[in-house]
Amino acid sequence: MAVDDLSLELKPGAVTGFLGPNGAGKSTTMRLVLGLDRPSAGTALVGGVPYHRIKNPLRTVGALLDARALHPGRSGRAHLLALARSNGIPRRRVDEVLEMVGMAGAAGKRAGTLSLGMSQRLGIAAALLGDPEVLLFDEPVNGLDPDGVRWVRGLMRSLAAEGRTVFVSSHLMSEMQLTADHLVVIGKGRLIMDAPLAEVIAGSSLTAVLVRTPHAGDLAVRLRAAGIRVDRLGENELEATGAPVERVGDLAYEAGIRLHGLRTREASLEQAYQELTSGSVEYGAERAGA
Amino acid sequence: MSTLRQAVAAEWVKLWSVRSTWWCLGGALVLMVLGAVTLGGSTATEALRDGATGLRLTASEPVVAATSFAQLALVAAAMLAVTSEYASGTVRVTLQATPVRGVMLAAKALVVAPVMAVAGVLSGAAATAAVYLLLSIDLFGGLVVLPPGEVVRDLLGVGVFYALVSVMTVGAGLAMRSAAGTLTVMFMLLLGLPLMLLMAGSPAALGAALRMPTFAGLAFMGSTVNMAGGPMPYPAWEGLAWLLAWAAVAVAAGHVLLRRRDA
Repeated sequence: MAVDDLSLELKPGAVTGFLGPNGAGKSTTMRLVLGLDRPSAGTALVGGVPYHRIKNPLRTVGALLDARALHPGRSGRAHLLALARSNGIPRRRVDEVLEMVGMAGAAGKRAGTLSLGMSQRLGIAAALLGDPEVLLFDEPVNGLDPDGVRWVRGLMRSLAAEGRTVFVSSHLMSEMQLTADHLVVIGKGRLIMDAPLAEVIAGSSLTAVLVRTPHAGDLAVRLRAAGIRVDRLGENELEATGAPVERVGDLAYEAGIRLHGLRTREASLEQAYQELTSGSVEYGAERAGA
Repeated sequence: MSTLRQAVAAEWVKLWSVRSTWWCLGGALVLMVLGAVTLGGSTATEALRDGATGLRLTASEPVVAATSFAQLALVAAAMLAVTSEYASGTVRVTLQATPVRGVMLAAKALVVAPVMAVAGVLSGAAATAAVYLLLSIDLFGGLVVLPPGEVVRDLLGVGVFYALVSVMTVGAGLAMRSAAGTLTVMFMLLLGLPLMLLMAGSPAALGAALRMPTFAGLAFMGSTVNMAGGPMPYPAWEGLAWLLAWAAVAVAAGHVLLRRRDA
């Protein structure tokens, strides 16, 4: 079973990043939403209705699942035109989206001759074709050059800013950290976390407050007394974990301890993600033993 | 209903935006002309050798017989409309756009069938003309004739036969998904099995062979030149009924599997 009892509700006006190890069920989840795979139990609803009940679904949900899913002998324009026809989308919209993804020049080329990056742009054009409120992208930056990656990031942000629901899966944590507002993390087909990006990062044990003070010993005693974990980094430096920077600053002030430096060192999303998913593996092992 | 109309419009674009369609239709034309001229030529030569006088060969008669193998190029064209989607993965894109699977199947059949019917009529007309022009030489002494009513009826018959075989192919393609599997199944149904049954020689096997699509089609088209060597044991309308039944079974199998399986 690829996905087990996964409940998600996506928010409009935000980019939701969808993370999980390979085989966690990210693509399967997207296929279930689109009615391509059939759940053995439960439902996937878009705007409250099953996907196949939506009339002209491309105008409600745009999706890019696999950029390589193109007939090698068909031009990008013909590919998009067929999709447009199937959902009553006017022909001029095809040229609009081709322009939007920077493919107007290559639209007549047979898809088999396109690079992966170009195929990716064509797939994004197909997702945008129906001007949908909900967008699903499975690994949209695969095969894109740095300019392309930056372009996709900007596109996701602007689609969300227009009030659309944007759901993006990716392996690239650094990219997600820059793109997503909200994160959904799954492992082994189960939900591990569904929270705002800022909360995921703040929750990591690697997010810490770094303090420089000539009275490091005194402050360490004070902070530990308040239940905060403290590591001594050097003569004048401490690292406090498990409390926001405001609390560490306030405690120092109350104790009358002079500070020369106070800053937060945020965990990267990659670090936070590693912690979350390694947890899920332990959880799985525990369950197997029980 | 408009969902179906839109899906048909999309399938139309898809069919004509790949070269393989043109290649297959070109192949169907070439096979039809070559087959009809060869079969017509051998009939004419035999008549000449036997010294049969007063024998008349309608120019479209060898054309009807030539459909037995010329249909394979058309099967390839109809098949690719389905199997290329599975080979490239575009079937998932198609089903995103047209999520009701029965509509997708119907749209493919509704595009492929009339196109193949027209291809049958046009390639049949070209082959009839070729037979008439090449075999109306003095040597055969006016053996080949061109009675308009009969020719038109034969050509329309070819069109209907091709349409039904292509619908059958769409059903088989959706059931098999792969080009190799579909081609194997269609080849066996159209030629392999009936020929094996003919070779078996028993009356029961012969009866079964004559009810398979190719011979049912020949019966429907009113052919007297057929590989079975004897007269058809049932009238033309029954040939059409058998063809319809085969197409219905293939479409039903394709539909059931299409609905049941993950895309």
